Amino acid sequence: MSGFLQKLKGAGSGAAKTDGTVPAKSKKDEPPSELTPVEKLLYNAGPIREDGSDKFFGLENFGNTCYCNSIVQALYHSNYFRENVVKYPPPPRGVAANGPERKVNVTVRPPQLPNGNASPNKSRQSASGGQLGPSMTAVRPEDKPGTPEYKKKQAMIKGPVLELSQESAGPYGMEECTFTGLRDIFTTLIESQSRTGVLSPQRFLDIFKRNNESFRNSMHQDAHEFYNIVLNDVIANIETNTKRIEELAEKSPNGATSQATSSAPSKTDVVYGVPGTGWVHDIFEGVLTSETRCLTCETASKRDETFLDLSIDLEEHSSVTSCLQSFSAEEMLCEKNKFHCDHCGGLQEAEKRMKLKKLPKILALHLKRFKYTEDYSRLQKLFHRVVYPYHLRLFNTTDDAEDPDRMYELYAVVVHIGGNAYHGHYVAVIKTKDRGWLLFDDEMVEPVDKTFVQNFFGDKPGMACAYVLFYQETTFEKVREELENEGVDEFQIADETTAPATTSEPVNGITTPLSRLNTQPLPPVDENEALVALDHTKSAPVDGDAAVLNGKPTKPDAAPNGHAPSTPTALTEADRAAQSPTKTKAELAKEKKELKAREKAEEKARKAAEKEQARLAAKERQESLQRARDAVRLEREQMQQAIEESKKTAAEEEKRNKRELAAATDTATSSEAGVGDEHAPRNGFLGLAGRSKTVSRKTMTRKSFAFLHLGGNREEEKDKGKDKAAVESTGEKTDLSEMSDDKADGDATPAAETGAPTTPQKQQPNGNSKHGHHLLPFLSSVQRSDTAPGALQQHDKEKDKDKDKPALKERFTFGRGLVRKKSSKFLKTSPTTPTTTQS
Amino acid sequence: MIVLPPPPRYPPPSAQYGLPPGSPLPMIETNNVLTNPSGPEYQFLVGEGLYVLKEDLHLATPPPHPSEAPVLNPNPLATTPQPATAGTKLTLLNLDVTPLAPPVRTGSRSEGTQGSAQDPADEAQSSTDPRESSSDAGRISSVDVAGFKPAAPAFGESNALLAPAPQKDANKRRKPKNNLTKSNSSFISRVIHHDSFTKRLQDRPRDGLFAFANISRGFQWLDLSSPSKAEYLTKILFTKAHCLCHDVNRVTRSSTHIDVVMGFSTGEILWWEPVTQRYMRLNKNGTINATPVSHIEWIPGSENLFLAAHMDGTLVVYDKEKEDAPFAPEAPSDGKGGGKPGADAGRINYSSQIHVQKSVHSKNQKANPVAVWKLSNHRINAFAFSPDNRHLAVVSEDGTLRILDYLDEELLNIHYSYYGGFTCVCWSPDGKYVVTGGQDDLISIWCPAEGPGASALIARGQGHHSWVTSVAFDPWRCDEHSYRFGSVGEDRRICLWDFSVGMLHRPRASSVRQRGSVSSRPGTVVLPPGTNGVGGAAAAAADAADALSSRLRSDSDLSLATKETKGLPYSVAPRATTATLPPVLSKIVDDDVLCWLGFTPDAILTSCKNGHIRTWTRPTELASQLEGETSG
Repeated sequence: MSGFLQKLKGAGSGAAKTDGTVPAKSKKDEPPSELTPVEKLLYNAGPIREDGSDKFFGLENFGNTCYCNSIVQALYHSNYFRENVVKYPPPPRGVAANGPERKVNVTVRPPQLPNGNASPNKSRQSASGGQLGPSMTAVRPEDKPGTPEYKKKQAMIKGPVLELSQESAGPYGMEECTFTGLRDIFTTLIESQSRTGVLSPQRFLDIFKRNNESFRNSMHQDAHEFYNIVLNDVIANIETNTKRIEELAEKSPNGATSQATSSAPSKTDVVYGVPGTGWVHDIFEGVLTSETRCLTCETASKRDETFLDLSIDLEEHSSVTSCLQSFSAEEMLCEKNKFHCDHCGGLQEAEKRMKLKKLPKILALHLKRFKYTEDYSRLQKLFHRVVYPYHLRLFNTTDDAEDPDRMYELYAVVVHIGGNAYHGHYVAVIKTKDRGWLLFDDEMVEPVDKTFVQNFFGDKPGMACAYVLFYQETTFEKVREELENEGVDEFQIADETTAPATTSEPVNGITTPLSRLNTQPLPPVDENEALVALDHTKSAPVDGDAAVLNGKPTKPDAAPNGHAPSTPTALTEADRAAQSPTKTKAELAKEKKELKAREKAEEKARKAAEKEQARLAAKERQESLQRARDAVRLEREQMQQAIEESKKTAAEEEKRNKRELAAATDTATSSEAGVGDEHAPRNGFLGLAGRSKTVSRKTMTRKSFAFLHLGGNREEEKDKGKDKAAVESTGEKTDLSEMSDDKADGDATPAAETGAPTTPQKQQPNGNSKHGHHLLPFLSSVQRSDTAPGALQQHDKEKDKDKDKPALKERFTFGRGLVRKKSSKFLKTSPTTPTTTQS
Repeated sequence: MIVLPPPPRYPPPSAQYGLPPGSPLPMIETNNVLTNPSGPEYQFLVGEGLYVLKEDLHLATPPPHPSEAPVLNPNPLATTPQPATAGTKLTLLNLDVTPLAPPVRTGSRSEGTQGSAQDPADEAQSSTDPRESSSDAGRISSVDVAGFKPAAPAFGESNALLAPAPQKDANKRRKPKNNLTKSNSSFISRVIHHDSFTKRLQDRPRDGLFAFANISRGFQWLDLSSPSKAEYLTKILFTKAHCLCHDVNRVTRSSTHIDVVMGFSTGEILWWEPVTQRYMRLNKNGTINATPVSHIEWIPGSENLFLAAHMDGTLVVYDKEKEDAPFAPEAPSDGKGGGKPGADAGRINYSSQIHVQKSVHSKNQKANPVAVWKLSNHRINAFAFSPDNRHLAVVSEDGTLRILDYLDEELLNIHYSYYGGFTCVCWSPDGKYVVTGGQDDLISIWCPAEGPGASALIARGQGHHSWVTSVAFDPWRCDEHSYRFGSVGEDRRICLWDFSVGMLHRPRASSVRQRGSVSSRPGTVVLPPGTNGVGGAAAAAADAADALSSRLRSDSDLSLATKETKGLPYSVAPRATTATLPPVLSKIVDDDVLCWLGFTPDAILTSCKNGHIRTWTRPTELASQLEGETSG
């Protein structure tokens, strides 16, 4: 049985493995790299900016790391955040002599050969294809023009591929941590001389995984959880750094010189100390006030808590506005969830509501699409239609809130594609400063129409739903101005007969004035289709030739990629697109036949040679890398010792101040690559919570840290579940579930501790009761699809049938589904636990 | 042996990401279905009584055309532009041309009265002017166009070139030239008549209600007075174009002639005469404007002219009789339209003017378009003609409500949403108020006469849980002091709202609001038009003058009032200083996103995206009372 499971698992999860082992044969020439849509968008863009707002890099996927890529992109393209990250730590005065303040250890990967298989990004193909289900054709998706996989591969081939795989800390005066990793990425992008390309954020991921073991696998992870941890890590890192520098300033200046940094003479330490972590809080932190009114004594008590994002429950057919309102809706604390009233001195019924007191600059809204359902003992994805506007104001502010009518604009949407929480794919759709909206899908970057952004309400086929929405502060005037500058003919739809007329206008927009480019990303389809048509002629010369010979190059059927025109739009697009490559087609057609045979032979020989070369080069690189790494490690070890020492003294000081928690943090952050150290992440949290007293960050929001509470609620169950999990003998998977359990346990602790004074435990279940009614709309929606009338219904059923098979397989592929099942036994007694964790 | 959990049935079936297309959708054409569900969930209680679902007519969504391959690209990230779609929208038509007495309800203001707070001046006005009442009964009521002379001149009157060609026989309407049933146009896929089409037309009651409905690529003509209403009279299936909107001409309707115009996702427009089944295509192949038509309406009082909103932010006036001609923006002839010379080249500040690309006064009126006004670069979601036949309220995706004087082709006012786009708009029957719904989940009530920007905002209604898709006044429950309107939204809810001039109280900071005459009329928040910037006495005088005017009173002084205030900095009213209106009813009435609602004397109708048309009969006492009134 287990063998069977294993097999299925392999089939489902790891197209990666098969992809990696089976050397793919590429029979055809890759087409010469055309201008990609982004490049066209950036054509004539003028000089490169210094603030990095015109860098549109893809991020390499190392196998299911799309959660990281989408979030990093969203963070990078927030001007507030990016600017502040690269400003920190501010260069100490008088350091100019050291030359450029910072050199990130970037290697530019040699251009990937079109037919190279050895590239590490091979696994990525399947990462995004993880949800592909059974592959239908022998053609690999990345060889099929027009597919995302193909575009990604093209992006890798095209390069430049900036590799951040080695440690490069030092000049910041900070030890390597999540923050430095992130900063390295940002700096690299900003300093890049190219506007497009691919960045390989390997080091960042290494650091992150080192500190967060639940991410230390190649599984699909929760992007929101990742976002949360990254932000908290950044805060912790900066705080640690600030503190360290403060202490250094107090200590003898000799201590500073012994640092590897050496760039921090005692005089300038003050400069380091000043900015502190304030900026991260300024950007992301908001304050929630929870008002609780005891129904017995009518005493109202208020408590402020900070949040970095809001996790909002979803209702079917609702809007983000409405979900936010119900987030702040009044709750009754009764029965099991009674409120401990200090005034009456006992558990009483109470009314509670949460309102926003301070609005953050960047409001991250996490839509709780993953919901634990007892029926299936797993995290179920909610496909509720939740609409989100391009702009937002918050209704649920307190009366004393500053600027309660603050205008927000949507600037990034992290989209989850997939049927459940255990696999899928994340992409980010991001609004850039002056290039309109772009789709960031791992290595691929593509301009999209503004309307594309609202394709992810959740009800469209394709299972792509908005998962995290990033709204940023703006003003009414800015919005008006932008809207007025905004585009022309967004809805250009014409009949076939008008196509010739339309083609008279430049197809790819190169000749269109910049002003238009600025505001109105061209419908990207043109370009894609153009590429498609070209590739088609190359890869399948017969068809292409035929089309040309028949003099029907504009026949829409020629579009080979399955984009069969379903609408007049598609038709015309195809038409228009098909015209542009005609010339090339004709040329190709001539050469093609005679050259084909010869080319093939040559190709083979060349490929072999290239392969050999590539292998040698790789080996060399590996060795040099190793050497470099060793050197760095040595250096760091020395530095580590120094830091350790200073840390110790710091810890003692802390103790004196009765702040034990901070000490824990220091060990946590300084614990190097704590593979075996399970407490690292937990300490991170603890320390964070403890240390931040000064900034009134007592606890993390209940709602924004739902996964913490998951742990809290399921602590016991988890323990038992762990035992069961151990019985499930699926090697790595079991480890994984254990790990996640440990993590949940660990996480639960700080939640309990930090919230203790105001009894979060009592409030917690009450949150659950709130989520409980989620189940209803969910069920009703199932019914709804059943009652769909007539033809639609049939259609649905048909699809249902199709659906069952892959779904079944999915279940097999991940042992965790079964583990959950076990623990669900216990869960049944407790209210349904919503969670964002995907362990 | 491990017992596996049941396979998850949720998510809804859909093609998996990246998968090549599966089998084509086995969709077959189905018939309309009429059901009569009953039970507590199919009724709702408002102050006046219980509304009960009478019937649910489900219009069959036509299957995709064979040539229109099912959506083959399962990639949810496909950047292929999606064709514009619209839910099921209805137009109700009553052929009974005898003037329907307007629901004069001044005396019977029993329910929901906030009379205590009423302004005495208003009371006096109502007593002295019994004729003053809600008059235009919206789309279905019979505005007796022949019976009265509107204060405003008819659109295009000044341009002799636009005068309709003289007809020998006034009763004989000009028909479109092409025969629909015998057409071999590739635009139309199929036309299906009911077997006993002529018989049904003859047998039906004279005052029975027709309904026209568009649903994806189909268009249906239904007889709601027939016992077999599920059977359409005519059904047209188009090949590729989706019908997004349509309207029926109230002026020309008769038992032998009905003028219907439809707007399509391809930008094309079809003029259809259903009785004789003839049609004509306008803006063929998008010669004039190739963007989809989001809203279309006959210009009130006009036999030939209608206005279409294209999604690139252009309003185009077409003449149903005229041929198309390729259109290039004309330079404004005399600057009358407010467009700068050479405006097409330079940047136009759309927040202070509209760009008249072709004026109705243009001398070149041989062919369509008659007039073209560019409002912005943003999609126009809806527009509504004011009952005084002079003003036009236009709402767009960029969150603006523009009040135009369409006779003068001028932008009078622009108002902004709290956030997000506006989706729908309508005028109160007396033309004083404009109600909009938007993507901020709010209903906004505006009094355009109050001035520009935020100062015209009377109240915001908070009751929807998602975007609002349609708003409409219930003329049978409006009088000059209190208004009833309804709204439907993507949250599947219907909300009913009552507001009256005296009941709206602003929150604490209301005094912040600067308004000249607010102190002169204590107790009133809303001022009738004509009182801008004048004292109470003058206001009273203006009211008196208003009272003398026809019952479809014109707000023509509105333009006067606002011209001088043009160019003021516009802003959005903060929440703290804006009155908030709760709905009197908010109820989920369908399983799918609602997209239209309409009122008839005895029912409220709603329609959803999926094609369900639900008829909610009004409380019975009221219905009978109304009947008595209308017959008397």
